[in-house]
Amino acid sequence: MTAAQPGATAVKQAIQWMLRLRESGHDPALQQECRQWRTAHYEHEQAWQRVIHLHQDLDLRAIPGAGLALQTLETSQRRLHRRQALKLLGGAAMVGTAAWVGKDLDTVNVWTSDYATGTGERRSFTLPDGSLMQLNTRSAVDLAFNDQQRMVRLKQGELMIACNPQRSLLVETRDALLEGFEGRFVVRQDSDCTQVSVSHGRVAIHRPGQLQWIESGQNWRLDALGTHRLEKVEMDAMAWTEGLIVTRDMRLLDFLAQVSRYRHGYLGCGDDIADLRLSGVFRLEDPEQLLQLLPRTLPVRLRQRTRWWVRVEGLA
Amino acid sequence: MSIGGSALPMPSNDSVQTLYSDHHGWLHAWLRSKLGNAADAADLAQDTFVRLLQRREHLQLNTPRAFLRTVARGLVIDHWRREELHKAYLEALAQVPEAQAPSAETRELLLELLERIARMLDGLKPKVRRAFLLAQCEGLKHQAIADQMGISIRTVERYIADALYHCYLLRYADEC
Repeated sequence: MTAAQPGATAVKQAIQWMLRLRESGHDPALQQECRQWRTAHYEHEQAWQRVIHLHQDLDLRAIPGAGLALQTLETSQRRLHRRQALKLLGGAAMVGTAAWVGKDLDTVNVWTSDYATGTGERRSFTLPDGSLMQLNTRSAVDLAFNDQQRMVRLKQGELMIACNPQRSLLVETRDALLEGFEGRFVVRQDSDCTQVSVSHGRVAIHRPGQLQWIESGQNWRLDALGTHRLEKVEMDAMAWTEGLIVTRDMRLLDFLAQVSRYRHGYLGCGDDIADLRLSGVFRLEDPEQLLQLLPRTLPVRLRQRTRWWVRVEGLA
Repeated sequence: MSIGGSALPMPSNDSVQTLYSDHHGWLHAWLRSKLGNAADAADLAQDTFVRLLQRREHLQLNTPRAFLRTVARGLVIDHWRREELHKAYLEALAQVPEAQAPSAETRELLLELLERIARMLDGLKPKVRRAFLLAQCEGLKHQAIADQMGISIRTVERYIADALYHCYLLRYADEC
């Protein structure tokens, strides 16, 4: 039921575009041509998204200390070959488990999704029916559009949909099937639940033997125990679409968990300050800078061992 | 698609269970003969069965031992690759002044990423692999890679595109 795979030609073209752009230092005229190619066909855009993601995942330059990568990869490869040749297991060509490589690395496979975002990334897409979809950080969806239905499968992360009113749009998560009508709503897939917030219009929650309507302005939580409305929310569900985190009296621990979604590495806090409360508007574009604000509003300090390891501690 | 249902077709636990009780001892012995280490062999034998539980396709049980060996063999290669990567990385690190050495956390992240990449590049011709890595790790332009490797820029472009396509197929292959 997945949307059709992009064909080999489209994929190879997407690779050519990506390489040409990279090589040209992202020349604006070339970018414009590439955009034209992408919008010419849905398949092109789909191939493009996948290739870009593949490329990002293979990009070592973003990681500090990656200067050693080439040497490490080349040396180890040479030795691995020698070792295989010496101890070879039955003489067949050895390729390890590469064919399964995608399956065992992440719980959800961002690499094989129709649309996906990396850490800290937000992107907008126009779906084939004209609906607008925005994906928040670390999110992955597949599309299943056909003559009968339009379905977006949220495999990981969070999305906002602004529906094109012609027909309802379905969003599938682990916990439920949601049906959105004309309007705007946000769906977040957490590890143990799905949260749905509607800003305009209505959304129907379909669960086995149950139908529940969500009205505009409401927030709901769906989990193994049931479907319940959240009366008080500590964080504005739509704010991320504007690049913000907006909190009202939110626990510091919960706030840090939210910020963690937008950055790599460890971010935590001491138990003694986990319950401090935080209200404010924070810009997401630079999570590191955002963290620097904390000591100005709360009696805390940041202990930073590396860019990847930050702990918030109380002022003892 | 029925509402709320998205179960993957998985091999039944029963069939893996049977496979486990019938062949675990044999697999462990086979792995030990390859690895020369009982603890690693036990880990990999366990991993082999975990893999089977994760697979989407139905198990082909006509020749269970050949099948298990294929899976386990891949894991052995992965195990060696990880060892070699760690070793090569530590050696490379030894040449870097201590003050510039990345932290333990960063090293872990990097090694994890290197392992993914190394796995994906398995099976590529050495020159294709080299051209790709020069672009990907060092950020070299195609002309610089051509000069360094003594080949034409056209060939460099073809190599890099081929390498990416290879990775693409691996990553998206089991979507269909």
